[in-house]
Amino acid sequence: MKPIKIAIMSLTHGHTRKYYQTLKDNPKLNWMAVCADNEEVRDVFESGNHGVPCYMSSEEMFDRHPEIEAVVLASANIEHLQQIEQCAKRGLHILSMKIPTFDMDEYDRMIEIVDKAGVVCQVELEMHYNPVVHRLKKLIKDGEIGKILSIQATNITLSPVWAFPWQGVPEDSYGKRVPLRDGDHRFRGGALCDHPHIFDLIRWLTESDIDFVFSDVAPNIRPELEVEDMLLVNGKMKDGTIFLLDPSWSRMEERLKVPGPGWEVFPKRMEVNLTISGDKGALIVDCFGPNVYHNGGPNDRYTVQYTYFDEWIGLIDEFVDCVRNGKQPKINLKWHRQSIAAMNKCYDSIQQNQPVHL
Amino acid sequence: MKDSCFSDKNIALKHLLDKYDVDCSGVISEQEIPEQHSASLKIGNTENVLLPWRMERRFMELKVLVENGTLENISTLRFCNISSAKTATLDKLIYREMDLCEWIGGTRVKSLFAVFSEASAANIIIKLQNGMSCSVECSVMLPEGAKPVDRHEIIAERGVASDRVVDTQVPQSSIYTFTNNGSECFTDTDAEIFGLDTDSVNQTRAAFKVLSEPETMKEWNQQDSRLRQLVDAAKKSGRLEQVIHCNDGEKSL
Repeated sequence: MKPIKIAIMSLTHGHTRKYYQTLKDNPKLNWMAVCADNEEVRDVFESGNHGVPCYMSSEEMFDRHPEIEAVVLASANIEHLQQIEQCAKRGLHILSMKIPTFDMDEYDRMIEIVDKAGVVCQVELEMHYNPVVHRLKKLIKDGEIGKILSIQATNITLSPVWAFPWQGVPEDSYGKRVPLRDGDHRFRGGALCDHPHIFDLIRWLTESDIDFVFSDVAPNIRPELEVEDMLLVNGKMKDGTIFLLDPSWSRMEERLKVPGPGWEVFPKRMEVNLTISGDKGALIVDCFGPNVYHNGGPNDRYTVQYTYFDEWIGLIDEFVDCVRNGKQPKINLKWHRQSIAAMNKCYDSIQQNQPVHL
Repeated sequence: MKDSCFSDKNIALKHLLDKYDVDCSGVISEQEIPEQHSASLKIGNTENVLLPWRMERRFMELKVLVENGTLENISTLRFCNISSAKTATLDKLIYREMDLCEWIGGTRVKSLFAVFSEASAANIIIKLQNGMSCSVECSVMLPEGAKPVDRHEIIAERGVASDRVVDTQVPQSSIYTFTNNGSECFTDTDAEIFGLDTDSVNQTRAAFKVLSEPETMKEWNQQDSRLRQLVDAAKKSGRLEQVIHCNDGEKSL
């Protein structure tokens, strides 16, 4: 199959570095160019000697490289609509970051634009390509624990705001400045906006949609942030399954401007764990473990050195298959809409201190 | 994309060869040959040894920690591998751990001293050519059906690394189920050839490496000869109660 000629826009998303490796290594992709959001980002990119041209304007990049077929939107959430419009206009296929937008009108506009242009728009929810999740899905499908009654899931990480400042800016992350609730100095746009995976997983595993959510925001463990970093969510699916989710930035970090070794203070910087009870039993899952462990450089702290399988192999396989064979990705904008709607309802619940139905 | 679930490592190997346009073929041995210490890949009429543990991510990452300077001035490797006699021989366990010592340590064995309890257990102290010490503890005394237990620890002037998390003694898993049928655990490490157990994943990945990077074949076949000699040297050490020096090359073993 002919490799897809692909570019990256903005370079400000937390997964950008992962794409450098993927676009270089994956034989199904031919990395043509990037455009940087600002000069600082450009300088960091160029210091990596990737051998790929970097432009300061997306228009210039597209004009100079008319051969580009697809784009990774590695940008702040606030940029996504405009970039989707730009790509669709040029007939370019899109690999979207995990939050297309929190504005549901904008979201519907994105669906319309993509449908009209007839391009592929795959949302990057990499847990779908994780082998532990594959096993989990199989065990549930095979009836190992019977009908699911309850799911508890964590998607907890360190905070990326020091390296990717837009994730701490309400307008850039959530799309606008909305106070969390009366009398609270914080705004929507923090940890919740970084962690859609467990909202997606509970829908995928139960094959049901979320009925209602209740969410409580806790005191920040990083008081200087103007967005939330600690919160809890519980609620019920339409099939009756109850759930409890933790999408917090509960693992402390060194405030590095460029992520690298020694970023984590807590040994494990990122965790997706689940406990699922069914009417025939229960199971517990660590999607990113076991690993290897050390207390070497640079900070001599006990640290998890991850060993999990590269989820971007499956993600790119699907993207290439969809682009080349005219298929719809399973994680498309329409599928993901319910998860984004549920996350919005979590913010509404925080504001109202009441459960909120979808 | 259709999700695949493999139960046969040779079908999984063919999937990888087709996917990555590797125009070679081979067959991974379905049953291990008794005198062999590892799985093998038959290419034409030739059996080629595989060193599958080198494809296991935990060992790859331990090697990264050694090579990228996360650990500084390494002193000692402490390796352990205990299994059931139904699934492994003592020679096979020693063979694997010796290879891991040389591969992760980044050099060859200089000398060794081994003590044996017949063909059931062996405790070996090894000196590598770069001065590192290694202890290798092997036993085949686990009961039939018990899952193998291993542990690999690297101790340095700066840092300790291990494939076992602190305060645990047995390998952890990714998923544990608790049902009326008892409890089970699962560790899946490869989404591309999902469905195979860890050993089969490693063998499949090793076979794919040999077929896609043919220079690996020669290197691994040579290492196989060397490791067999190291296993023999350990036995000789145990028999004679003498240190065996291995630093003059293969002939002196």
